[in-house]
Amino acid sequence: MVTNEVYNIEYDVIVIGGGVTGAGTARDCALRGLKVLLVERNDYSTGATGRNHGLMHSGARYAVTDGESASECISENMILRRIARHCVEETDGLFITLPEDDLTYQRTFVDACQRAGIRADIIDPAEAIAIEPSVNPELIGAVRVPDASIDPFRLTVANLLDARLHGAETLNYHEVEGMIVNQGRVEGVKLLNKRNGEHVEVRGRVVVNAAGIWGQRIAQMAGVNISMFPARGALLIFGHRVNKMVVNRCRKPANADILVPDDTVCVIGTTSDRIPIETVDDMRVTREEVDVLLNEGIKLAPSLATTRVIRAYAGVRPLVASDDDPSGRSISRGIVCLDHAKRDGVEGFITITGGKMMTYRLMGEIVTDAVCAKLGNTAPCVTASQPLPGSEEGAPSQHDTTKRYSFGQRAAIGRHGSLAARIETDNDIDNALVCECEGVTVGEIKYAVHQLHVHNLVNLRRRTRVGMGTCQGKLCSCRAASLMGEMNHDVKRAQEDLADFLDERWKGMRPVAWGDTLREAQLTAAIYEGLCGLDKAVDMTGKEEVQ
Amino acid sequence: MRMDTVIMGGGLSALTCGIALAKRGQRVAIVASGQSTLLFNGGSMELLGCVDGKAVTSPLEAIAALPAEHPYSKLGADRISELASEAHSLLTDAGIVMEGKADANHWRITPIGVAKPAWLTLSSHFSIDSLGELPCKRLALMCIRGFFDQPNGMLAEGLKGLGFEVDKLEFTTDEITALRRSPSEMRANSLAKRLVSNASLQRVADEINRLAADADMVLFPSVLADEDVIQTLKSMVKKPLRLVATLPPAVSGNRMQALLRHYFRMLGGNYLMGDTVVSGTLEGDRLTSVTTAKLGDMPLRADNFVLATGSFVSKGLVADYGRVYEPILDLDVDADADREQWTRFGVLEPQAYSRYGVKTDAGLHCLKQGKPIQNLRAIGSVLSGHDAIKMGDGTGVSLLTALAAAQSILATK
Repeated sequence: MVTNEVYNIEYDVIVIGGGVTGAGTARDCALRGLKVLLVERNDYSTGATGRNHGLMHSGARYAVTDGESASECISENMILRRIARHCVEETDGLFITLPEDDLTYQRTFVDACQRAGIRADIIDPAEAIAIEPSVNPELIGAVRVPDASIDPFRLTVANLLDARLHGAETLNYHEVEGMIVNQGRVEGVKLLNKRNGEHVEVRGRVVVNAAGIWGQRIAQMAGVNISMFPARGALLIFGHRVNKMVVNRCRKPANADILVPDDTVCVIGTTSDRIPIETVDDMRVTREEVDVLLNEGIKLAPSLATTRVIRAYAGVRPLVASDDDPSGRSISRGIVCLDHAKRDGVEGFITITGGKMMTYRLMGEIVTDAVCAKLGNTAPCVTASQPLPGSEEGAPSQHDTTKRYSFGQRAAIGRHGSLAARIETDNDIDNALVCECEGVTVGEIKYAVHQLHVHNLVNLRRRTRVGMGTCQGKLCSCRAASLMGEMNHDVKRAQEDLADFLDERWKGMRPVAWGDTLREAQLTAAIYEGLCGLDKAVDMTGKEEVQ
Repeated sequence: MRMDTVIMGGGLSALTCGIALAKRGQRVAIVASGQSTLLFNGGSMELLGCVDGKAVTSPLEAIAALPAEHPYSKLGADRISELASEAHSLLTDAGIVMEGKADANHWRITPIGVAKPAWLTLSSHFSIDSLGELPCKRLALMCIRGFFDQPNGMLAEGLKGLGFEVDKLEFTTDEITALRRSPSEMRANSLAKRLVSNASLQRVADEINRLAADADMVLFPSVLADEDVIQTLKSMVKKPLRLVATLPPAVSGNRMQALLRHYFRMLGGNYLMGDTVVSGTLEGDRLTSVTTAKLGDMPLRADNFVLATGSFVSKGLVADYGRVYEPILDLDVDADADREQWTRFGVLEPQAYSRYGVKTDAGLHCLKQGKPIQNLRAIGSVLSGHDAIKMGDGTGVSLLTALAAAQSILATK
């Protein structure tokens, strides 16, 4: 529950955007002793943060085209392995050359990696097949690099948690409707509380725009023009994890040339298309995108041809336009920090954009430095060395086979690191599994509802992975909705919530609704409509999307 | 092996057709691949529940107005009443005791507390004849502690919305608590295995009698294995007791499947469990034999064949990247060619794919390249032109087309 006190504080800094960049910025500011408010219009990590590969780049992908980004990546990669252990799976990655690719590019690639400080070992194709059996056996070259897999939802939540532990306030479902501007100075934000429709104003000495692609709109509210370059990328999730390592194509970055193992599934992506800024909220994946991803993905790992596709999704990269490249690939992924006092004569307002999920911490550091300079704060940045909650020294590991954890406990430790200790396990009910695919227990749901700002099932999925396994929430979603309905004493909302959740799942399934995915959809309909009559219980017509 | 009739598929329509044929002395083999969608049945049959988004009160009247491509229209609206009554008797003979009328729907209560129109409902289950006239006032809703497949909050609110007073009463017994120790074991079917002996039922009854003293009627989750167990618990409980459906696996649907299978076997039918028909041999306009995965090079020959393989869920239809097809004989299907047309954006909107199925002539004969196969009839969910989800006609189409196909096969003799 949001109390008016939260709105009445005069903050040092208000961060707009609950993606990983905003979360990392809020954490850095809080660690330096600033009084911080973070606001997010939807749920945390709903923008580009939650709509990418979950790839912890080594930087190798950018080594040839963008050496600066590559260096940033490898440096942040090494930092995240220390501070965010519980979000990272150290898989390593391969850059493979196929017969249709130019093998001489491999040398260029390895040299560029070395210049950027990225370890890149050329290995024999036979060895590549031995360490990664899913890889296309026709490969003619392979390079091993320190790529890894990272869970962006968990990473964002860990940053938010630590920010809160250090005094920050964070509000999801609060949309910025306007800026409080006084004599050329931004003095705060006008907010809509989307959960109760209330309009409020909150004051802050500095406002940071970390709203990703939506940052252009935020800047306009302060009378500032930033020309964003929306580049849309679509991805597909496969029903099981065919690969152990990240698999990339060793060529100039192109469509669908990265396959990343994530938890129990794997993800192929991405496409890259320039889209008009007006369409950034339409995340529906097209048939053409699906076709490209499948055809290219099969070249990396042929077994994808017979692996079930469970979901398609798309995100928009928040790049700042710098040239006319229609693909959006050759422009810099570089970090852009704009102090609008210097650039536009608007005081108290800074935009942080560009960059990548990989460099979120560095982006937070750069913008916090700029905030501190304005406020005369001289505290040093400690985010590169201080572990995130869940990754502290001695934190338990889900891979520790010496401990006797239940399936649910092991899964929870994987998701929450040392914070899993906060999950109630006192009795057999708390240990009971709600989601069998992902090992989510009643205790974990209680923890998420009470401590991780979970208001609905979609929030819960982002915090716990409930419904993200192969069954895509077929049975667990009703169990979880019912439990949450009882916890919140609002059963009607629980049914609407269940329908919203199934609708959100369906959005991702529809573009790939054939084979077993169509079967799952029909089975879900048989259960929730046929057996349960959910369609009779809720009215979905004209519903505004508030996910 | 030579049979009179071979039925492909082992669910509700296959068993119904098999029973009707075996009763008349036919040698019948059913090739059943595995689980049937009865496992998602909460204890009711629907003839026709909904047309154009409106609940149907009299199915017989509404059926007369259905379009020509609907399976009921192919059977002939004037035959529906007779077929429905035959289906009801067949279920009764199999030991499935249900109540209801084809000319007036009643209301079943779903696991989330929604009232949905139904034709037949198990006598042991809770149902309401008319929403304007409730059978009683105060309900005791028994909630098994730690059993999440009964969404008690939603169920209770739904019942209150219909006008009942509802007391949610949580309870447990030693057997149930023991089940809870394994984190994934508390499902309806595992409860059904535990709650069998008189002693364990008595402990449940003691809790019900202790907690539900003020109620007019006791509602208990449908987690009781069979009719004997239900009757035993009823005799121990002081108040009238009715069951309410849970989320899957549905114990009542599982029991219906088992009773039908048992009856079919009693009549001398061959139920080939865990086998699938993979191909068939066509000679002219007739199917002469089919090959199964397990029997391999021993084809099943028969005078007549019945396709009862179900929809996509049961793999009677397959959608791949580019098309929808029938996987055994590549029969003609009613389905859009363009993948974009198969589905719609909203999950609860009507979905085109749920009306897809094989094409048949008026006598339910399957078509291949536009020509009917004279001794191959399709029944149940594999048929096109109906929508089990949006029209509430799935189980009715299964039962009635099965009986009609059986009659037509018997008439050819």
